[in-house]
Amino acid sequence: MNDYAELHCLSNFSFQRGASSAKELFERALRLGYRALAITDECTLAGIVRAWKASQDSGLPLIVGSEMRVDSGPKLVLLVENLSGYQALCRLITQARRRAEKGRYRLLREDLDAPLDGLLAIWLAEDDARHGAWLRERFPERLWLGVELHRGPDDAARLRTLLDLAETLGLPPVACGDVHMHARGRRALQDCMTAIRHHLPVVEAGAYLYPNGERHLRRREELTELYPPALLDETVRIAERCTFDLGQLEYQYPHELVPAGHDATSWLRALVEEGARWRWPDGVPAKARERIEHELDLIAELEYESYFLTVHDIVRWARDQQILCQGRGSAANSTVCFTLGITELDPTLPDRRLLFERFLSRERDEPPDIDVDFEHERREEVIQYVFRRYGRGRAALTAVVSTYHGAGAVRDVAKALGLPPDQINMLADCCGHWSDQAPSPERLAEAGFDPDSPLLRRVLVLTEALIGFPRHLSQHPGGFVISEHPLETLVPVENASMTDRTVIQWDKDDLDQVGLLKVDVLALGMLSALRRCFDLLAHYRGTRWTLASLPQEDPATYEMISRADTIGVFQIESRAQMAMLPRLRPRRFYDLVIQVAIVRPGPIQGDMVHPYLRRRNGEEAVDYPSAELKPVFERTLGVPLFQEQVMELAMVAADYTAGEADELRRSMAAWKRHGGLESHRERLTTRMLAKQYEPEFIARIFEQIKGFGSYGFPESHAASFALLTYASSWLKCHEPAAFACALVNSWPMGFYSPDQVLQDVRRHGIEVRPLDVRHSGWDCSLEPAGDERQPAIRLGLRMIRGLREADARRIEAARREHPFGDVEDLSLRAGLDARARERLADAGALRGLAGHRHRARWAVAAVEPQLPLFAGQPAPREAPVNLPRPSVGEDLLTDYATLGTTLGPHPLTLLRPRLAALRCRSSRDLPNVESGRPVSVAGLVIGRQRPQTASGVIFVTLEDEFGLVNVIVWHDLAERQRRVLVQSRLLRIDGHLEAANGVRHVIAGRLRDLTPLLAGLNVRSRDFQ
Amino acid sequence: MLWACILLPQLAMDGVLRQRADADSPLALLAGPPQRRVLQAVNGRARALGLRPGQTLTAAQALTRDFATAEYDLAMIECWQQFLAAWAYGFSSQVSLHYPRCLLMEVQSSLALFGPWAHFEARLRGELAALGFRQRITVAPNPAAARVLANAHDGLAVTDGRTLHQALGSLPVERLGLSREVATALVRMGLRSLSQVLALPRDSLARRFPVEVLAQLDTLLGSRPLALEFYRPPDVFDARIELNFEVESHQALLFPLRRLTADLAAYLAGRDSGVQRFVLHLEHRNGAGSQVQIGLLAAEREAAMLFELARGRLEQLQLPAPVLAVRLVARELPPFTPEHRQLFDERPQQSLPWEQLRERLRARLGDDAVQGLGARAEHRPEHAWTTQPAVLPLPPCGPRPGWLLSEPQPLREASVRILAGPERIESGWWDGGDVRRDYYLVETRSGQRGWAFRALGDEGPLLLHGWFA
Repeated sequence: MNDYAELHCLSNFSFQRGASSAKELFERALRLGYRALAITDECTLAGIVRAWKASQDSGLPLIVGSEMRVDSGPKLVLLVENLSGYQALCRLITQARRRAEKGRYRLLREDLDAPLDGLLAIWLAEDDARHGAWLRERFPERLWLGVELHRGPDDAARLRTLLDLAETLGLPPVACGDVHMHARGRRALQDCMTAIRHHLPVVEAGAYLYPNGERHLRRREELTELYPPALLDETVRIAERCTFDLGQLEYQYPHELVPAGHDATSWLRALVEEGARWRWPDGVPAKARERIEHELDLIAELEYESYFLTVHDIVRWARDQQILCQGRGSAANSTVCFTLGITELDPTLPDRRLLFERFLSRERDEPPDIDVDFEHERREEVIQYVFRRYGRGRAALTAVVSTYHGAGAVRDVAKALGLPPDQINMLADCCGHWSDQAPSPERLAEAGFDPDSPLLRRVLVLTEALIGFPRHLSQHPGGFVISEHPLETLVPVENASMTDRTVIQWDKDDLDQVGLLKVDVLALGMLSALRRCFDLLAHYRGTRWTLASLPQEDPATYEMISRADTIGVFQIESRAQMAMLPRLRPRRFYDLVIQVAIVRPGPIQGDMVHPYLRRRNGEEAVDYPSAELKPVFERTLGVPLFQEQVMELAMVAADYTAGEADELRRSMAAWKRHGGLESHRERLTTRMLAKQYEPEFIARIFEQIKGFGSYGFPESHAASFALLTYASSWLKCHEPAAFACALVNSWPMGFYSPDQVLQDVRRHGIEVRPLDVRHSGWDCSLEPAGDERQPAIRLGLRMIRGLREADARRIEAARREHPFGDVEDLSLRAGLDARARERLADAGALRGLAGHRHRARWAVAAVEPQLPLFAGQPAPREAPVNLPRPSVGEDLLTDYATLGTTLGPHPLTLLRPRLAALRCRSSRDLPNVESGRPVSVAGLVIGRQRPQTASGVIFVTLEDEFGLVNVIVWHDLAERQRRVLVQSRLLRIDGHLEAANGVRHVIAGRLRDLTPLLAGLNVRSRDFQ
Repeated sequence: MLWACILLPQLAMDGVLRQRADADSPLALLAGPPQRRVLQAVNGRARALGLRPGQTLTAAQALTRDFATAEYDLAMIECWQQFLAAWAYGFSSQVSLHYPRCLLMEVQSSLALFGPWAHFEARLRGELAALGFRQRITVAPNPAAARVLANAHDGLAVTDGRTLHQALGSLPVERLGLSREVATALVRMGLRSLSQVLALPRDSLARRFPVEVLAQLDTLLGSRPLALEFYRPPDVFDARIELNFEVESHQALLFPLRRLTADLAAYLAGRDSGVQRFVLHLEHRNGAGSQVQIGLLAAEREAAMLFELARGRLEQLQLPAPVLAVRLVARELPPFTPEHRQLFDERPQQSLPWEQLRERLRARLGDDAVQGLGARAEHRPEHAWTTQPAVLPLPPCGPRPGWLLSEPQPLREASVRILAGPERIESGWWDGGDVRRDYYLVETRSGQRGWAFRALGDEGPLLLHGWFA
């Protein structure tokens, strides 16, 4: 039996071709006693890091390569011999990919004219022998003729032909396998993927399917039977030449940020010292000084200075442009990040117990990860700055590998198996939204499928196999890789679907493995709203607030939060959060950190919420599993809530090192997909038992660790978010008009629509003034309101559906010259077309110039484009006409249709007499109803939510003229009255009230659809239908 | 003139329902791309379940799974329109499909034939109901007015201008057949009915709206005629020859048959089409007539060939009674693609052209006995052929035998020599008929070449699957 190395093998990163993962391939190749395995995905290195990992895990050497077809030329496999070969391959792939649309490539003959040192080539001869001679010139002494035998019609004849050809051209022949799957068992999946690739059902894809399953990693006995020994021996000789390892890549962060006379270390120190003086004008506290020194030492030791300098540079630039930004995530653990202005939280303050190791550790051979949020509307500016600053050759976005989830997989498989579209949709519906599992037999039976039918069994088996497979590469929204040297010497770069964007072929996990640093430029709507609010206030009041200058620990703000009066506030505005607030009653900043983190699937599933609440309300004694753990859990009253606490627990109670603890955190996040928690269970259990912890406690802790899973919320992240929560709450409490105005102007963002935000602010007594072209700008604005402390909000033209910003800006400009005389004047000077005029008229924005909506519409219809000849001529006189004035109901409906909100009476005000006759109470009456009493309410349905964590219960939020009513619909009722629940816009609930700790819910007993009453507001509905 | 408008509000649904036995169970018609199927029409039972046109299928299924679906088929709708127009043509010579899903017919001139309008209307409704089509019927002095009145009325008959003015005046502006933008604009001006619009100065309206708006109003009020294109019945070849005496032998029928087929051929040539199927009706003195169906594989129009075919079929028929008349009806008249002949036809005079031989074989042996042969893109040999035309592209493959045995037969291995192989074929898992076989090219002692296989992992003898020619 001869030794063998497979030199032509695709993994599942040859999308819709390769039917096995690199891990499966390496494991089987090792078992079969192969000497090496090349991964040669088609014109891509997107899967090579995973292959490298699989190679390290299995101990079987990896050869980096790629299969490519030259445009109307030969097909070949390129193998990397050494570093320069790797760089040549990256360059080739980049060229071929950049030339084609996303997902395709085009390799030209002239691409191979460039120096290709270090690249070996295997020519997969088809029919044109001339290609061989041409390739031989490009790869002198480095070209082989690939012989691939797959038990075709006449392998013996084929072998003879190829050997003759090799002889003629003087090329050494070598055996290869054209491997598409690790084992023969993947044949069905491979056929299925082929069909998916060609958008055909398998039955019709015969022309593209392989005739048999031979394209797998075959046993060496079989290969010996097929190939002459010399061809097999040649594979090993080639494999031995290919000594390149991805570990040889040398990545360097850009150097230009360091001014002359400094090196990276000294410059970072200089910036940190400068920042420290800014953060602590009265002198750096000892603790902070100690942290800074510790961190700087570690950064220098790990040589990450340039990374911090790069992030600092981006943040500094954004600040200069008045773009609000804040670091999120584990960077909040770093004092250096705080002094550099990347984060806003001082990690050295007494009640912060942040772990620097969570951010950067010596053991973890892995770069730190700084994610920075920017205003969502201005992130693009930041991205373009990065591209500008480093050039497209050195900066690119990272990729995201989209993988198959349940619904997508079942959809593709079912289509390939020829199921009709309606059934495909139904099958996909049977999968949860992001479920990573094929639909369960129960769900299928419920939907009317027979899970035991052979067809459906095939669908399910293949779906199961396809789930988790990579599907395509897309771009990360803001993850940047920046390099000192051109990126294409490190990794191929390809086009993204967005124009002017280029993406490297690796995703975040790959970068970590290879040691590339990444900066996340993320977008956060709340930052836009806060910046707008600061701007509005600076303009209106002359005071410029910043995140840091807002008054801290303001009792009025916490009072408002405890009332759950938090519409529009960051993070704590959802139904579940609002239900928790009156029970938790936050009193200080750290309570907000907990509040943000506690209403999450992790803590809820780990059953940490109720113990925490009971302890906080003094209903349960606070205790600790041991004295040594008290400092760890003290701040959360003995209940583990944060990832950091789990890490600390492991360090304190199980003697983990900081690095080991971080490894535990990573396993926690990944165990659902990859497993790997078992080793920790053993380690934790043994060590904690040795320290006399109760087995029961250990088991519970471990369950909680699993509960954290992928949802686990790091404390540092919660703290960064809580900062924004506090800032937005303070503004809502003290500057409600400006805050609401900023929210509406930043929409879309957050949980609530502009209508809900405006209804809320009006309930708080703020005057909102209607649209008027004589006063309104594009944005909503603040106007003085008599002697009120709070200004009024003037609606902006941005509220008008379908009105273009450019039209509004021209109106603003024309009005600055002088006020508008009439509609004609407005249209001409602001250059408005018929569409814009009609939008303005219908929205009621012309009331000051033309009267009510009907008259306005009549007036704008008469505006004619003015011909130069008649310029200045008065329009022909018209007899005045009598048009009916819109009714209150009509105005209301038109308001909603054109603006999405109304400043007139709430629809429920108009309906209140009829609702009162139906004995429906308003939200204002509810506080007077005793808990447990029957009650009927009615309101506009503004939210239906089915929280992941609550089993089948649906939260419905109703709005009436006074406020919101929270309704709980239990699963049974929801099923029974599904139609009413899903369809009603105006809903009546008969049920009973449940009130505790200031939280009121109506528990629904029966639902009734009152939507027809809304239509009754419209005169039109009286017309014949 | 008086115009009736028969509006078919549920044409698509009715067209589907009349073909279904379970017309009473909930049904929704779907349209749109597979990712976003939308309910286009629903029947009463489906409506009662909360299903509405315009809902997405997903939303509908969120409500209930308890309904059947069918395709909303525009071609079928067109078909039914033609069908109903043909039906209406029996009542009026001026029938128009000017408006979609709606029949316009001039009725004044028909009143003499079908009685006063009340009777006439009842008859129309009765027949439509029997055909399974719901309807709204209105009458007005002009077709446009009849059409818009049907938007709001059913059974209204307006015969004079003054009443028409009143009836139209109260119609909402959305229902006047104006474009959506114009109707919206009018409503947004507070103008809800036609009378409100007509009360405004004409020049002010003219200044604000495109010319079509006033034109449409004028058409409605009858001061401007509507140009209609009238329905014409479809082309059918239908010819009949009455015999002068009672014919009892096939032989005597050949003469009229030759005439009819020749006429058909001439007619086909005149309109440049061919015929794919036609029917001979033989009329007898008593009882039902006999029918002979003649179908062709491809459209043809050559007189001799048509005659030959018809004769072949006719001769198979046992005449149940003497024949009085022969009628030939041809409805399927597809375009004809003539074959190209060489200028100097080199075929021997005696030989039959292939097409004619084919058709004669079919006539003699039966339609199913002669079939075309095509290849399919399949790796399993037994699935790699079909009686349909070939589906392209085909996968590359090795030599395949021309004659495939319907059942593979065991082969005595000693008697054959293996020339090539194994060629491995593993395919077909998707229909439960997965095969895994190694195929060999074999040669018998007599030099005949065969194709034989052994299933993977099987120890048994080789199975012969086909012979090479």
